[in-house]
Amino acid sequence: MVSKRPNLQSGYVAKCARCQRTIYTAKVVRPDKMFALAISALMVCIPAFSFPLISVHLLGITEGTNLIHGAIMMIDIAPLVSFMVLFCAVLSPTLLTLCMAFSSFCMMYNKRPAMLNYVLKLTSALLHWSMLEVYLISLMVAIVKLMSYADLYYGSGMLFFIALLIINMTMISEYNNVKYWEYLRNG
Amino acid sequence: MDKPLKPGISAIQQNRQLCRICDTDCSITGNATYCPHCGSPISPRIKNSQQKTWALLFTAIVFIFPANLYPITYLLKNNTLYPDTIFSGILSLLDSDMPAIAFIVFIASILVPILKILALTFISFAVHFQWQLNPKKQLIAFSIVEWIGRWSILDLFVISIMVAVFDKGNLLSVYPGIAATSFTVVVVTTLFAAESFDTRLIWDANIDAK
Repeated sequence: MVSKRPNLQSGYVAKCARCQRTIYTAKVVRPDKMFALAISALMVCIPAFSFPLISVHLLGITEGTNLIHGAIMMIDIAPLVSFMVLFCAVLSPTLLTLCMAFSSFCMMYNKRPAMLNYVLKLTSALLHWSMLEVYLISLMVAIVKLMSYADLYYGSGMLFFIALLIINMTMISEYNNVKYWEYLRNG
Repeated sequence: MDKPLKPGISAIQQNRQLCRICDTDCSITGNATYCPHCGSPISPRIKNSQQKTWALLFTAIVFIFPANLYPITYLLKNNTLYPDTIFSGILSLLDSDMPAIAFIVFIASILVPILKILALTFISFAVHFQWQLNPKKQLIAFSIVEWIGRWSILDLFVISIMVAVFDKGNLLSVYPGIAATSFTVVVVTTLFAAESFDTRLIWDANIDAK
């Protein structure tokens, strides 16, 4: 349905009269803020994915488990499952952060490279597939399940992972694809 | 120059279409295949939306049976294999006094996939046969499906953590079963089915809806 775009004061959103979905927001985009968030997310994501999230004391051995390790171990038996876990928990958040860093950087320095078009398309495709918050809940479910079998210790990766999750969620809620497309068009 | 559009009327009647990628509108007759702003394929409604949704839904319906009937994980303990289906896993959680976790797993792994398929099938039927139902209620149902869909991945993540923790060879190991792959197929196809469904079709099917 066609709607008229109203003149909005900053901070207000216009919603569709039919389906209540947001059609326009008057939020100001801060590319410098997005860029800073993206860079910190990229720094945090290396230890978050490679340091042990939890350590388990099992059969006399204490061993740490990280995020990538579990997915890689299934690759022979269930490649599809392994790929999905890697894609939703590692690949899409990282790619999404890279994309946002790139587009914010372009906006900060007023550049419009031909690649920006593809990067923005990739960003909107990846937005649904970044599932770090689902992973955190899964981790909690797994921890409660494991507590009856073995002694558990939180690893150093846990802190980095939670930091990554918070930064990532902030970025996704701050991000507004429409504004970036507007910027690219008005070049 | 284009005529100014009248608000409150469907854009398709005014020769206008919206690009779903970059959120800009253009005329339908002038831009038959590609969006003039971002170059992505464009059409007034998602092309073959109903067919795509049905195909993906059927795949999900086929795979939900092996996902629930076959073992999702195998526990190898002292050289003996103990298979576990989704349901038996929930029962053993209940036995070991973890009703909250059992509840979460039940919702994420059994209730959500089935409800998602049922809701999408129902909305697709309503659109196809033009049942004159309240479009707003249908949209609310669709939004719930869309939002809750991602949480079905939870079980896959839990399996990947379990596999990583229990890797002591024949003494104590966990392996994913056939159902894990089937379950992944169910989750992915329902996610794509929701994505390929065009919500504007709900209003197209309701002739006198506001």
